[in-house]
Amino acid sequence: MEVDPHLSLIAACYGTGALSALFARWSGRLALGVGYLAALAGAIAGLWVSLDVLLGPPRSALTQTLPDLFPFARLSLAVDGLSAYFVLVISVVATAASVYGPAYLRAHSPDAGPARQATQVLAYNVFLGAMVFLCCAGDALTFLLCWEGMTLASYVLVVSDDRDGENARAGLLYMVMAHGGTALLLVAFLALTERAGAFDFASLRAAAGDLDGATRSTLFFLALGGFATKAGVVPLHVWLPRAHPAAPSHVSALMSGVMLKVAIYGILRFGFDLLAPVAGPLTPAWGWTVLTLGTTSAVLGVLYALQQHDLKRLLAFHSVENIGIILIGVGLAMIAWRRDEAGAALATVALAAALLHTINHAAFKGLLFLGAGSVLCRTHLRNMEELGGLARRMPWTAGLFLLGAIAISALPPLNGFVSEWLTFQALLGGAGRFRGGAGLGVVVSAAMLALTGGLAAACFVKAFGVTFLGRPRTPHAEHAREAPPSMIAGMAWLGALCVALGIAPGYAMRLLDAPTAGLLHGPGASAVLTARGPLVLSAAFGADATALSMPVLAALLVALAAMAWIARRGWRRAPLRSAPTWTCGMSPTARFDYTATAFAKPLRLVFATLYRPRRKVIRDTAGTPYVAKRIRYTGEVVDLAETQIYQRVQNTITALSRTLRTRSSGRIHAYIAFVLAALMVTLLIFGVGPQ
Amino acid sequence: MNEATVHALIDDIGALLLFSMILILAADQVYRAIYAVAAQSLLIAVAAGVLAMATGNPDLWVIAGITLVVKAMVLPWVLHRVVQRMNVRREVEPVIPVITTLAVAVGIVVMSFHLSASLGAVRQAITGNALPVGISLILLGVLVMASRKKALTQMVGLFASENGIFFTAMAVSKGMPLIIEIGVILDVILAALVMAILVLRVRSTVDADIADLDRLRG
Amino acid sequence: MTGERPFALVLLEMSFLMLLGPLVTGIIQKIKARLQLRQGAGVLQPYRDLAKLFRKGTVQADTTSGLFRSIPVFVLAATVAAGALVPVFRGGPPAVPLGDALLLLGLLALARFLTAVGALDAGGAFGGMGASREMTVAPLVEPVLMMVVFSTAVAAGTTELGALAAHRSASWLLAWRAADFLGFAAMLVLLPAETGRIPVDNPDTHLELTMLHEGMLLEHSGPGLGCMLLASHTRQVVTLGFVAALFLPASPMAAGSALGFLIGAAAFIAKILVLALYLALVESSYAKLRFFRIPQYLAVGFVCALSALALRIL
Repeated sequence: MEVDPHLSLIAACYGTGALSALFARWSGRLALGVGYLAALAGAIAGLWVSLDVLLGPPRSALTQTLPDLFPFARLSLAVDGLSAYFVLVISVVATAASVYGPAYLRAHSPDAGPARQATQVLAYNVFLGAMVFLCCAGDALTFLLCWEGMTLASYVLVVSDDRDGENARAGLLYMVMAHGGTALLLVAFLALTERAGAFDFASLRAAAGDLDGATRSTLFFLALGGFATKAGVVPLHVWLPRAHPAAPSHVSALMSGVMLKVAIYGILRFGFDLLAPVAGPLTPAWGWTVLTLGTTSAVLGVLYALQQHDLKRLLAFHSVENIGIILIGVGLAMIAWRRDEAGAALATVALAAALLHTINHAAFKGLLFLGAGSVLCRTHLRNMEELGGLARRMPWTAGLFLLGAIAISALPPLNGFVSEWLTFQALLGGAGRFRGGAGLGVVVSAAMLALTGGLAAACFVKAFGVTFLGRPRTPHAEHAREAPPSMIAGMAWLGALCVALGIAPGYAMRLLDAPTAGLLHGPGASAVLTARGPLVLSAAFGADATALSMPVLAALLVALAAMAWIARRGWRRAPLRSAPTWTCGMSPTARFDYTATAFAKPLRLVFATLYRPRRKVIRDTAGTPYVAKRIRYTGEVVDLAETQIYQRVQNTITALSRTLRTRSSGRIHAYIAFVLAALMVTLLIFGVGPQ
Repeated sequence: MNEATVHALIDDIGALLLFSMILILAADQVYRAIYAVAAQSLLIAVAAGVLAMATGNPDLWVIAGITLVVKAMVLPWVLHRVVQRMNVRREVEPVIPVITTLAVAVGIVVMSFHLSASLGAVRQAITGNALPVGISLILLGVLVMASRKKALTQMVGLFASENGIFFTAMAVSKGMPLIIEIGVILDVILAALVMAILVLRVRSTVDADIADLDRLRG
Repeated sequence: MTGERPFALVLLEMSFLMLLGPLVTGIIQKIKARLQLRQGAGVLQPYRDLAKLFRKGTVQADTTSGLFRSIPVFVLAATVAAGALVPVFRGGPPAVPLGDALLLLGLLALARFLTAVGALDAGGAFGGMGASREMTVAPLVEPVLMMVVFSTAVAAGTTELGALAAHRSASWLLAWRAADFLGFAAMLVLLPAETGRIPVDNPDTHLELTMLHEGMLLEHSGPGLGCMLLASHTRQVVTLGFVAALFLPASPMAAGSALGFLIGAAAFIAKILVLALYLALVESSYAKLRFFRIPQYLAVGFVCALSALALRIL
């Protein structure tokens, strides 16, 4: 059995990291240090492998079979363009998180014992290794094993820092929903493996080739349900805003930036590779479902993000929004693929937009979570309304957070703008090509995408402004100091990536060649999008092509900024005078600054039908009702999915269990009899059937 | 003038008709709604004139003239006088909020476009966008009637529906039989007169809100 | 697709727009004054105001971070860069590709984002309220703008403004199809929201409850305030040029001749003046809307834009 050196290098690094948990016997700090160093090495190895596959000469998938661990199946790995791209995404954020991690854990929980540190290191390395090998999986068993490993490791990391029991509840909800999704995935995979008689992807592909349309669609929607739960698509997203903030910040960065993308990888693998018909387009219902789910998630995600005051919960809801944007691209690619001979270009552009947004979101969401972690470890506060004025005390963190905020609001010249531009161009192509209701649906989706862009900008003005600007609102915020240099280094790496992907996206198109060409069997991304050289992105659909040149724009902006800076110095160059902020003559204190609730209130009123905010006002009066001793106002916005769907399901299940409980007698014999009956029924159904 | 020019002109007039309908839906004062429906009737007269020139059908000239005089000048003047005589708050109070009305209007427009697209062969014979625009106008006029409380705005909605019926008929069959046209106009005049009398008489005793009329139950 | 507008011409157009901005504001103020039976200040008054500001010193709030000083620089740079995307003298795509309508909207959004962040930097309630209200109106305008851009771009197959202007037809007549009437109507509804004029915002007062844009500029002073004001003048003329490129006919004269150049400039100024007259008339005829009625106002634009798209696509 030949062993590919690169893949085994990755395995060795993460394995070493996991085993270094044993060092905790002697010193927890040693275990942390070695473990994270090994993880960093594994991440760099991952970068090397993926870049080698993506940029190297085009070749068929890098396959490798693993030692026979199970008698009924052979585990194997198959790294094609799509796998390599997602390994790249994982490794990019893993590099930053591994650099950031040790200093963060030291600063955030200095009193953690060696047992907890060992658990953290072990779970972290298992988490990263599972994700990398999930994307490289070549058969269903490896895929499912790594999927479970990823879920378990992230659960351990979510509940590892339990201050007040809330993290435990978040972890429980996460486990329940993740396993629900895994169950759906299991059904889809096992249906295919039963037909194929083997586990590896090649046999599954062949077996799916002669399925009829209805079965194929059923399997796709089952798999979509499973992956959508993990990706945090509305309405299956309720675990996300609880679990992501509960984990340590660098793990949140990985969960938001990378684990959700692994679910996207699964959708792409199932939709375009395993379940796709041999020739001819996909059933339109697939693409339209994904497009609708994407649009809904995008709008609802950003609307709920606007009303959050917990910095990490806000970022978690934004992940829901960005997954929605990625799914818009994926859905459009599914609709347009093989539809007609001109549909190949449209599908390529849509898929390129989705994949580019994947790595862009990983970069800027990772950056934002790491920034939030810096704030958290220095102030021990997560609520925006208790912070403020941090930009003067933590300038590097503030600057990098602002960079991430501009990137996530899809503003030029950073990377968020490029992938949204590509998505809009793909939607425009769709609007021009599809007739009738389909065209109008695509246009409405574009309008909703524009709405989410605007709302995201509003939300990040609030998040950045209330947290970092103005006056500090609590003593914790006042005594904050800058984060340690290794944490800043981790953030700077991701920030530099945001700038690079924004200024030179044409070069990033080369990275997208292998995934798009391999998955869609068509022209690669750079052939379609950089036809005029790597400095210009040009999307050609109709008679004319729209061209965008980010390097020229960046140069223009720099030149204009230089001239404006000279102009700003003014004619007289008088010295700068300092004076208090104008507050109508009173001495300004922190109470004069706008709060996050106040900032988001107009939008809460405009979108009141979607938010259905609850408010409660309690007046304590003294004697007569005209003299109020105390007035207490409580207002909250509860996630609509939770109130309408989940609580109803929960109430039904609770009612059902209550009725069932009255029937349980508590005697052992009754339970054993139940088990016997179940066994007999199973044997009857599966044993006594057609031979 | 040739076919293509006529098609293009009817298309353009259809777009302007839709715009005036949106103004009626979003109007918050009765005056604005009345002026919008007067402009709409003027556009209908212009469309009838264009079709008359294209087909040479003398009936269409008569229709154009009658629409211009009656619906673009006389009836709006009557409504205007009623508003002046009533001298009460001139704002329009909707039953459902304006944004919901506009959302339903969007749905109606899209639905009527879908309906006419699925008519297939019949669609080819009709001048461009005229059929869906006409259907939208009729339905949106009924929406105005259903969502406003003041009797005057309901009349405006009725007029707008009328315009829609005319536009559809003209576009589909290049003109209606004259007798039907006259009959319809007479109906509209009668309805306006009855409403004016009712509103003025009722005003002298109680406030002229349709919503109050349902207190007259037995 | 490469066009004939050389990069030097694009830069010239950008500078022309920046210099024209205050004049357009002055003209609108003059028309408003005349409609109110006043003399009004001269049309060159904004230039004098800017010159005065650039000669003054700066007073800065003591709670600001280092970010506040650089906000006017970046806002002005972003807005002027947006001007490079608007075709002024003639239609047709530029020789060196730069960007399209989406990039223009993105640059204006960047300027707005940075202005709002600067407003929160100084602390205090004025900046917070201005930033909050501005960032409430902005997301409601974006979908309608996107639909209007799409309704014109679907017909032309591109979103590049020069190509759209050329597609609009190189004739003096208004070559509109049915959908363009409604698209133009939607754009006219949006213009006061984009340029910060009545009925959405009042550019003449400095009371926090009646202003969106002015509230964010309150703490700037001296040359910084001069840069922000120049940016808002430029933003206004860039928006008007954007509407002109999408909907009004381009100049028909052939490229390369000096006469064609002058006629193109004159045609552009005429188009801008028509739109400026519209803005002045709207400002003089209507009162400012209560803030929470602005979504209703924008909904009219939304319905017009959606009907335009229905007419175009269905």
